[in-house]
Amino acid sequence: MASYIALGVACGIVLYDAGFSVLHIFLMSLLVFAGAAQFLAASMTLTGASVSAIIIMVFFLNLRHVLMSASISEYVKRRGIGFLTFFGHTLSDESFGINFSHFQKGSWTPEEALTASLSNYGTWVVSTVLGGLIGSQLPINTTIMNYALIAMFLCMMVMQFVSSAHMIAAVVSVSATVILTILLKHNIALVIATLIASFTGYYIENRRGSGGRQHVR
Amino acid sequence: MFDNPIVLISGMALVTFLPRFLPLLLLSKKEISPSLSRWMSFIPVSIFAALVASDIFFWEESFNINPLDNIKLLPSVLVILIALKTKSLLWSMTAGVGAITVMWLVF
Repeated sequence: MASYIALGVACGIVLYDAGFSVLHIFLMSLLVFAGAAQFLAASMTLTGASVSAIIIMVFFLNLRHVLMSASISEYVKRRGIGFLTFFGHTLSDESFGINFSHFQKGSWTPEEALTASLSNYGTWVVSTVLGGLIGSQLPINTTIMNYALIAMFLCMMVMQFVSSAHMIAAVVSVSATVILTILLKHNIALVIATLIASFTGYYIENRRGSGGRQHVR
Repeated sequence: MFDNPIVLISGMALVTFLPRFLPLLLLSKKEISPSLSRWMSFIPVSIFAALVASDIFFWEESFNINPLDNIKLLPSVLVILIALKTKSLLWSMTAGVGAITVMWLVF
């Protein structure tokens, strides 16, 4: 939980640094509630990306939740639409990890799962707002602050190296991003590079015929 | 910065909520094809690599891979090594911020 709060505070600081007000940070955490996506928004805003490019990247980044949501759906199937709305909105990587393992052990009711998700949600909103307030008081070196984001994305990239095909996808994505950014001079380059790299990785893994192996991440 | 961040926030909210909510309502794990989930497993790594690449190879708005001008390059090598070794977000970020601070003070 301490590292989750630290991440939330960091996220609030970088969003403020990118130009979002404390009110906008509050609204974003309340309405979006997606750590990686919020860091992505800060980073792309800093590099001057368009609203549409950011939203498309957030969409791709959040596709991983389709798998999580589908995996956990059997445990909450008979709940009403109101319950599922809250449960869906508060489904994050962290809450999925906690809830899914409890559900599999059979020691968890949907209400307990929602309570766990809501406590993560509340913690996230409060810690990002706190980060925004800290950001508004601190004189921040922009080069260093921006680099903290890059270091985070580098680490998240490395943590996705679950097979050599995933490493190749990263190399393809880096090359395509650099070439397309130089050619197009627009952040849509990131979207195109992401598509090229993910299909390349998929193609390589398919050719190796790795059967029904699945990565839920 | 945008004229109105509310448009961005609303768009982000929509594309975050739908992939979390619709499968709860409509799908179970068995109904997702292995092909789709295999392709999806490559998206995060591609996105993080693209985000990094769009930043670290550029210095003052232009492509620059001279590690003495572009002070983000050497710290990035360090961060990758630390991330491979520790798999820790905290250690990677600490090392990265430390290294860029040194580069910033020296160059």
